[in-house]
Amino acid sequence: MNKIVLGLILGGILGILDGLTSWFTPAVRNQLLGIVFGSTFKGLIAGVLIGVFARKVNSLPLGIVFGLAVGAFLAWIIAFMQHGYYFQIMLPGAMVGLIVGYATQRYGAAPQTQRV
Amino acid sequence: MAPHPQGDAFPLTRHSLVAAVRGPDAHERTRALDAITLAYWRPVYKYVRLRWRVEREDAEDFTQDFFARLLEKDFLDSYDPVKGRLRTFLRTCVDRMFMNQARDAHRQKRGGPAVHVSLDFEDAEHEIAAAAQGESPEDYFEKEWIRTVFALAVERLRAHCAAAGKLTQFKLFERYDLNLDDARPSYADLAAEFQLAGTDVTNYLAFARREFRRCVLNQLREMTGSEDEFRREAESLLGVAPE
Amino acid sequence: MTFLPDRVVARLRTELQLPDLSGTRYRVVKFLGRGGMGEVWLAEDTVLERSIALKILSPESGHAELASRLMREAVVLARLEHPGIVPVHDAGVLPDGRAFYCMKYVAGQTLDKHITGMDLHRRLQLLLRITEPLAFAHSRGIIHRDLKPGNVMVGPFGEVLILDWGLAKIHGNDPSVADHGPAQPARGGSAETETAHGAIMGTPGFMAPEQARGETSLIDHRADIFALGAIMAFMLRAPDPPARPLQAIYNKAMDAEISARYASVGEMAADIERNLQGLPVTAYRENLWERASRLAGRNRVAIVLVLAYLLMRILFVVFSRR
Repeated sequence: MNKIVLGLILGGILGILDGLTSWFTPAVRNQLLGIVFGSTFKGLIAGVLIGVFARKVNSLPLGIVFGLAVGAFLAWIIAFMQHGYYFQIMLPGAMVGLIVGYATQRYGAAPQTQRV
Repeated sequence: MAPHPQGDAFPLTRHSLVAAVRGPDAHERTRALDAITLAYWRPVYKYVRLRWRVEREDAEDFTQDFFARLLEKDFLDSYDPVKGRLRTFLRTCVDRMFMNQARDAHRQKRGGPAVHVSLDFEDAEHEIAAAAQGESPEDYFEKEWIRTVFALAVERLRAHCAAAGKLTQFKLFERYDLNLDDARPSYADLAAEFQLAGTDVTNYLAFARREFRRCVLNQLREMTGSEDEFRREAESLLGVAPE
Repeated sequence: MTFLPDRVVARLRTELQLPDLSGTRYRVVKFLGRGGMGEVWLAEDTVLERSIALKILSPESGHAELASRLMREAVVLARLEHPGIVPVHDAGVLPDGRAFYCMKYVAGQTLDKHITGMDLHRRLQLLLRITEPLAFAHSRGIIHRDLKPGNVMVGPFGEVLILDWGLAKIHGNDPSVADHGPAQPARGGSAETETAHGAIMGTPGFMAPEQARGETSLIDHRADIFALGAIMAFMLRAPDPPARPLQAIYNKAMDAEISARYASVGEMAADIERNLQGLPVTAYRENLWERASRLAGRNRVAIVLVLAYLLMRILFVVFSRR
């Protein structure tokens, strides 16, 4: 499995999980479906971006930092649109980015070098 | 006993003196025993003097007696190379014979040497005086044995070089490698003394040393009872102890 | 007869111990050690101005058979051009008639000394480096037959060399080796004539059982695999026995049944490599718990991150209910 696909799958799964945990917040429970879709979509975008980065840059520390930044940034957009819950949204989002960043650097097939 | 023209003191049909002693030819047996006497009498004499602390005259008698009995009593028939070295066997025979004679208080004084080899006890006595102190009798016997091997090899080398017309090579070897002084002449000094080129001195000495090694090995081969014993002794004598 | 005083005897003895290199391009420096049939001396190649090692037949080894064995060793080494096998530069006969060959001088430590204080991971990596020249030799139809820690040298830059091919056997039908070998195949397709029938050659503890029994016709490259397993056990047993998968690897290599051993050095190296990467090895069947532990060990960081994420989520839920 290549790194982009790995990032996509992992980002998507963690995005779904992230969205589902909002069920534990009664105030937003009625928006669960929307939150799950949004979170999943965010996870997929983050996963692809982080996967592409991992394909280009082979560095575990940089991959983690990039993942963290992308995850936090996308989560910030969501929180901004929600006009609140910045901490509750950005922290998990950053963590998901961190996990995807680590996983795409550590696992996943590296690109094949071009044979001349 | 004059050395053989080819340089070997004792050209045998068999490599080992022990094998010759046990052989069917009486003449060869006698010659082999003479060669054993020549090789071992000094270590035996010096050993008896130091180990048993006997007087010179008694030691002389004993040494002659021992080698005469070697001839008569077929001592070497019981020697087995697998069990030990020939020199150790002979040393044990010396000890046994001495103790038996002391116990029986019986030492036959013979009218004259029954052995054919000339035993220069005077020389041997001087050599004892130069002996190092503090050695065990067994170590002393071994040391004297080594000295005898080398001395006989030097005689072989001398005869070989004389026969081959290479006396200059031998004299250079004698002058340099057998020099008694710690400060030996340089190769340049030797070149001047012998009126040779410097490279000739190097080559001649290399030749002499090479032949000396061969003489030592041949001498050793004669003085051991089997090929295995020869290899062990050669390794012990010529092998190098690791650092 | 000339009386030779002690110091003259000592001097002569020292000179006799030195090899006669007159007329050659070599100059003796010092004695390095004694092998089965010869002495090894550090010398200087005066033409190329470099240090070399000379392996010379012992003075008492006057047998033509031993001389031919030494030459054969040189020929075997000359055919094995590999960074892990000491290269031979020259061979011949010294002025005193002794056979010799000249090889690269390796200044380093033998394996047994080198691994002192080394951790398991580095020992395994070192072991993998030993497999490389051995696999190469086997691919050329040559079996070492005397592999042991004392015959593996680690140089100052970490290079690994296998030494002392004096007991090597030319085996198989590799034309690049067998065609030019000194002997024709005698029995079983192997050019085994340098040892007497049934002669036991090797080092106890590292010698395969078939080698110890003198069954020369049964000896093939798997005898070296046995020795490699013994070396692995030697390297890993102290201070504590290693993990079961590693024990299984060297036990498989050291199986008394020849057919049960690894079929090649490459297979054994692959298992060691798998173990280094945290993957399962073919020599050992893991139970469920061992498999889970191995996977957990291999993915420690990922597991910690996921657990941290879940913990964070749980804390969020707990605090949001208050």
